[in-house]
Amino acid sequence: MIEVVYALWRRDMIKFLRDRRQLVTSLTRPFLWLLAFGFGLRASVRIPATGADYVSFLVPGLAAMTVLFASMFAAISIVWEREFGFLKELLVAPVPRGAIVAAKILAGSATALIEVSLMLLLAPLVGARFHPLGALASLPLLAVFGMTVNALGIIVAARMKSFEGFGAVVNFVIQPVFFLSGALYPISGLPRGLRAIVILNPMSYVVDAVRGLCIGHHAFPLLVSTAVIVASALVLATLATRSFRKMEA
Amino acid sequence: MNAAIEVVDLKKRYDAVEAVRGIGFTVGAGEIFGFLGPNGAGKTTTIKILCTLLQATSGTARLAGLDVAASPNEVRRRIGVIFQDPALDDRLTAEENLMLHAVAYRVPRAERRARIDESLQFVDLDDRRKDLTRTFSGGMKRRLEIARGLVHRPEILFLDEPTTGLDPQTRARTWEVLRGLREKYGTTLFLTTHYMDEAENCDRIAIVDHGTIVALDTPAALKQRVGKDLIAARTTDPAGLSKLLAEKYGLASTPADGGLTFLVEQGDAFIVKLLTASDRPPLEGISVRRPTLDDVFLALTGRQIRAEGAEGQAAKFRAMVRRRG
Repeated sequence: MIEVVYALWRRDMIKFLRDRRQLVTSLTRPFLWLLAFGFGLRASVRIPATGADYVSFLVPGLAAMTVLFASMFAAISIVWEREFGFLKELLVAPVPRGAIVAAKILAGSATALIEVSLMLLLAPLVGARFHPLGALASLPLLAVFGMTVNALGIIVAARMKSFEGFGAVVNFVIQPVFFLSGALYPISGLPRGLRAIVILNPMSYVVDAVRGLCIGHHAFPLLVSTAVIVASALVLATLATRSFRKMEA
Repeated sequence: MNAAIEVVDLKKRYDAVEAVRGIGFTVGAGEIFGFLGPNGAGKTTTIKILCTLLQATSGTARLAGLDVAASPNEVRRRIGVIFQDPALDDRLTAEENLMLHAVAYRVPRAERRARIDESLQFVDLDDRRKDLTRTFSGGMKRRLEIARGLVHRPEILFLDEPTTGLDPQTRARTWEVLRGLREKYGTTLFLTTHYMDEAENCDRIAIVDHGTIVALDTPAALKQRVGKDLIAARTTDPAGLSKLLAEKYGLASTPADGGLTFLVEQGDAFIVKLLTASDRPPLEGISVRRPTLDDVFLALTGRQIRAEGAEGQAAKFRAMVRRRG
């Protein structure tokens, strides 16, 4: 069982590593944000409580964003595999559906982790300043968040018959999750209504925890954030397994 | 000995359509059994139920004595499936595809290498083992899928339209491989096809139409049911020959290019009779053709099997997208 999960995970990793282009293009997104948005606003935006400049303040939010996009779009492989037939080979094999989902989630998370690690490694080169050890300590949290997002992607993919459909739904989900997560602004100064929405968004806890570890500024206790991150991963992984079971080849 | 496949009164209903309407048959171990019928006859639905990919609405199907609905995982371990459309991971190499399959089917670790080597040699692809399968031609992909189907030594191998879209040489080569498979491992083969000449390779054929089996027998016996052979005679005097056939033998004939054609039982014997008749008009040539499965299908259903329906179009479209992608 573990061997099957490993073999399936390895398959996705091999394909990810063979496709360097994908890696490069997905790294463009956080750096575009960091350069255009971060430096664009650095002069005018001060976040008094943190003492960090705006570029450094953005890094944790953009790290979470990198995971959000990478792990979500990794789930498109299910739509791809259904379209091109390989999914049938998996479904007719004597492999529990749960093992296939587990491998997908772990691979989606691992690819996102590779991307976010590269992003955090390169961010200091453009002038972002944060604790290197804090960034290292953030990686497990980001990995678990990657599993959550990939599970959500699987739930969408299991219902979608086309790439376009998947893309449309995923963008519809991904944009509000990103913009309402506190990735671009501190939670403390928000109006009450907006703050309520941000607090209900699991990604806010990822951003907050990583920000706490990287630049020492956070709104929620680290333990609470960790609990929310792990709990949402468990819930979504369960739901993903359920929708995968119901899916038809 | 257990039958390899036992199906009793199998039915599958989709919302409004009854795709399979009470099918029943038995396939012996080591048999090559074919499901012949036009697109939409219920062949693929039946194969999907047997492979545990679809639940039947009612009826039972047992493979190697195991109920497909009750123990799908046990069944999955014993069968191999080769789908109508390629189901390879085309961004992996040939070898990687087979290795993944070996792990998924729990081939013992110590045997994996040997099994993969053997399978690749069997389909004559061992020199391409390190190549990405996206670089393979249609025929090579199909052969690789057969190789993959062999890695876990299934008792029963299902093939849904195994040679659709392949050129004649590749089809012939694929059949060589399939027959070799039965000889070497005693594998039971269950296949669907809408090609008549492909059905000729089977030990027994079930002719399916509109979700039911309309006939089930060996190809030879099925053809015998139609009975008559088709004779084509070339002559300078078709009118005279036609008259002779009608008056002396009571046979109706149809004019054809340079002569005429007619149907008669035991055509070979009839030719001798005709040639030795003193009153026949001069003949320039004569040929006899045994009835084909096409004639059988026509006689049983009143229709001809049409290749390439909507399914074929969809496959072409997917192939096109794949090349672009």
